[in-house]
Amino acid sequence: MVLDNLIQTFVFGIVEGSVIAVGAVGLTLSYGVTRFINFAYGEFLTYGAYLAVFIAGGLFGVSLPLPVAIAVAVLLVGLLGVAVSRVFFEPISHRGALPLLITSIGVSFILRNLLQGWVGVDARQLPVPLLRRKDYFGVQLTELEVAVIVVGVVTMLLVHLLLQRTMLGKRMRATSGNRSLAEVAGIDTQRVVRQTWFISAAAGALSGVLYAILFAPFRPGVGFAYLIVIFAATLLGGIGRPYGAMLGAFIIGIAMNLGSAYLSANYTRAYAFVILVAVLLVRPEGIRGGEF
Amino acid sequence: MSTDQQRSTDGSASDGSATDDGTDLLEVDSVVKHFGGLVANDGVTFDVEEASITGLIGPNGAGKSTLFNCITGVYTPDDGAVRLDGEPIHGLSPTKVAKRGVGRTFQTPKTFRGMTVRENMAFAAREQTGERALGALFRPGTIREEEGDIQATVDETLEFLKLDHLADEYASGLSGGQRKLLELGRVLMMDPRIILLDEPVAGVNPSLTNELLARLEELNDRGRTILFIEHDMDVVMEHCDRVVVMHDGRTLAVGPPEIVQQDERVVEAYLGGGDR
Amino acid sequence: MALLTGWAAFLVSVGTIGCIYGLLTLGLNVHYGYTGLLNFGHVAFFAAGAYASAIVTMPPPSEVTNASYQIWFNLPMPYAFPVSLAAAAVVGGALAFLIGLTSVRLGTHYLAIATFALAGVFSDVLVNEAWLTNGSFGMNSVPKPGRAMLSADVWQLSYLLFAAGSLLAVYLLLERLMNAPFGRLLKGVRESEAAAKTLGKDTNVVKLKSFVIGGMVAGFAGGVYAHYLGSVVTAQFIPAVTFTVYAGMLLGGAASNTGAVVGAFTVVAFRESTRFITTVYNWIQSTLPDALSGVLPTVFSPLPNNPSFIPSMRFVVIGVLFVLVIRYRPEGLFGDPSEIQALGEED
Repeated sequence: MVLDNLIQTFVFGIVEGSVIAVGAVGLTLSYGVTRFINFAYGEFLTYGAYLAVFIAGGLFGVSLPLPVAIAVAVLLVGLLGVAVSRVFFEPISHRGALPLLITSIGVSFILRNLLQGWVGVDARQLPVPLLRRKDYFGVQLTELEVAVIVVGVVTMLLVHLLLQRTMLGKRMRATSGNRSLAEVAGIDTQRVVRQTWFISAAAGALSGVLYAILFAPFRPGVGFAYLIVIFAATLLGGIGRPYGAMLGAFIIGIAMNLGSAYLSANYTRAYAFVILVAVLLVRPEGIRGGEF
Repeated sequence: MSTDQQRSTDGSASDGSATDDGTDLLEVDSVVKHFGGLVANDGVTFDVEEASITGLIGPNGAGKSTLFNCITGVYTPDDGAVRLDGEPIHGLSPTKVAKRGVGRTFQTPKTFRGMTVRENMAFAAREQTGERALGALFRPGTIREEEGDIQATVDETLEFLKLDHLADEYASGLSGGQRKLLELGRVLMMDPRIILLDEPVAGVNPSLTNELLARLEELNDRGRTILFIEHDMDVVMEHCDRVVVMHDGRTLAVGPPEIVQQDERVVEAYLGGGDR
Repeated sequence: MALLTGWAAFLVSVGTIGCIYGLLTLGLNVHYGYTGLLNFGHVAFFAAGAYASAIVTMPPPSEVTNASYQIWFNLPMPYAFPVSLAAAAVVGGALAFLIGLTSVRLGTHYLAIATFALAGVFSDVLVNEAWLTNGSFGMNSVPKPGRAMLSADVWQLSYLLFAAGSLLAVYLLLERLMNAPFGRLLKGVRESEAAAKTLGKDTNVVKLKSFVIGGMVAGFAGGVYAHYLGSVVTAQFIPAVTFTVYAGMLLGGAASNTGAVVGAFTVVAFRESTRFITTVYNWIQSTLPDALSGVLPTVFSPLPNNPSFIPSMRFVVIGVLFVLVIRYRPEGLFGDPSEIQALGEED
């Protein structure tokens, strides 16, 4: 019984880890290429969830089925990411990390409050059915929770294939390694940056949708509040390292669920963070190599 | 290569430095530093005499900058020892090494760009009462007195380096060569026992190069100990009392320029190699 | 005596809040402007100070409705006032010390995220540990010093004077500190940590000191705030406070104490004055002749009609301010361009 509970909690951790992983991978991919941590990233989660609700509810005149609505929302937020980068970040991309970081705070304020001004602070919900948990090999999950894990795993696989098997992935890795060298090698790094922004923002939106499926209802502050969790996973894996972010996400997801179940449900975010701090205390430079 | 790894603790000269008759201020003793599988320093051994100018040369990748970082506490050597005046300093933090009296500059100067030349210089003065928050608030008399002394030293040093006309410029507005001079000036403000310079004249225009080298000679005449990394063989041969040649992370030869210059291994590994 | 009304009341309250934000901005400026520490959790020090003041001076729970706090000192006003403010500064500084211990060794990005997240965790603590903070109900009986002896208006004015005096005192202290070699030390660490280390300065200690000083100033601001409003509630201490303070600092100019104060007042005045937008709108509408009365509603009709529209736009403007200042005038109004232009870029 005790063990069953533990396993169940563990699996819930993996479910939430899937949500975090999708978000953390998106964030870390953009860091790899742009070299700054985007504090506006949480808004991509929020916009993904809200757009999915609106599109499913008939924003374009017809009520699209939820999966289609989600797909459209994810693509639109990807485009939003490209637009945000063109308008706000590329003009100061030569100025180093600090101005970009601070600008991203401003962008997060703009995006979040534009949305809030438009739709208000009332809580929204995705039109997903309430499901009863079923037994999967002794673990109780709803079909939606299973779907979240599947989507998470598929996204990880896609990112893996993207990085290892496609030209874009190679260009991204080259740009991430050394931007000026990549330029010398004839890579259109501006284009790589734009494509990366698209993927990053789209991943954020997908993560937001998954979050909304699991933890409805939500408000305009949802993404910004969840940023801490995504940051924790990203840093745990070492900023700019997609595979590290995936691993970090599952560790954080499991830790948060174990902590909530066995310690106190009031400090969910804190567990994510305590783990992170513990790691950073041992390796203050984060989990990345030293300079030579 | 037969560097003697088993040296006595008093750190007397190794092979190739038989002419050594002064006191050794800095002893680098079989320093080893790995990065993953890469061996950057593989038993580097040499001494720097008090009041000498010693040149550290070697092809790119010989491990010179890594060695500087091992001496100044940026890296902790995996093996071996670094001693200042017989006291081990390896494994200490950069701050502590600096406090012991080791001053250094960087290959690409790390000046404080958002501060004036004068502020850059004054920053480096030691033991300032006004650097402590309470001292800054409650001991204005002491600070005024100390600051007077510091500024006098700053003026004197800037004049010596011929940077006095730039005293109130921001460091960001200086040319590369002027930044190197400023970095040297900042180190002098520490009043160090030994000065380590990482390629002090690389990328500096010829007239400023001569100026800089003349300053180094003059500092040496006043009794300063200087160890510098340099690529330009002529500079090393002309200005150094002793030369340390590094190759593949090891000391290839140590001695006066005229002798090192004729060392076959050196000629083969470095001078003959064409890559200067 | 009549209650302060209209513009006068507005100005007095903007002035007082402006002084409190001025203090907060001065504290943050020590971190970011002078030392280059990207502290994204400033609100935690502010909250720590406010709660410290509340705990030191709140009456026993038995005299308060909805009280679940278990620690109170009930020190008698007005003599407890200075004690309370000192406690606020000390607790703010102590929290900064703790956060600093874990964080000052971190690089820019890690520090920004660590402080941001620690402030988030700290606010979870404030909400959940009701025995200490009275939870989300808040501490609503923080005494207003001297209020019993003065009329409402006189008290408001006196408190404004007190807040302004505090701001001036802290400003002068910080000016003295930053113009002394201590300020030079902070700036050097900001410009290049590696160089500062090789010049024999213990940069981690320097950063920790900077953290504590800025945290003390913010904690002190929290104390002034608690006794001004008479109540301390968790909902007041959200990340938006940190970033409003950033907006003020960036606008005024990093590494300029004058800029910090001016920037803080500007941002607070803007924020508070947006309350009057609907009043102004109604006034314009009422003065227009009947024939034109349909114009304004038509112009503004596409705007959503929800109560959070104007408060949200307020923050949109603050966000735009971030973007514009960083892009077009990184030194802000009073900063030194040569000093600030390259802030954050290693040599």
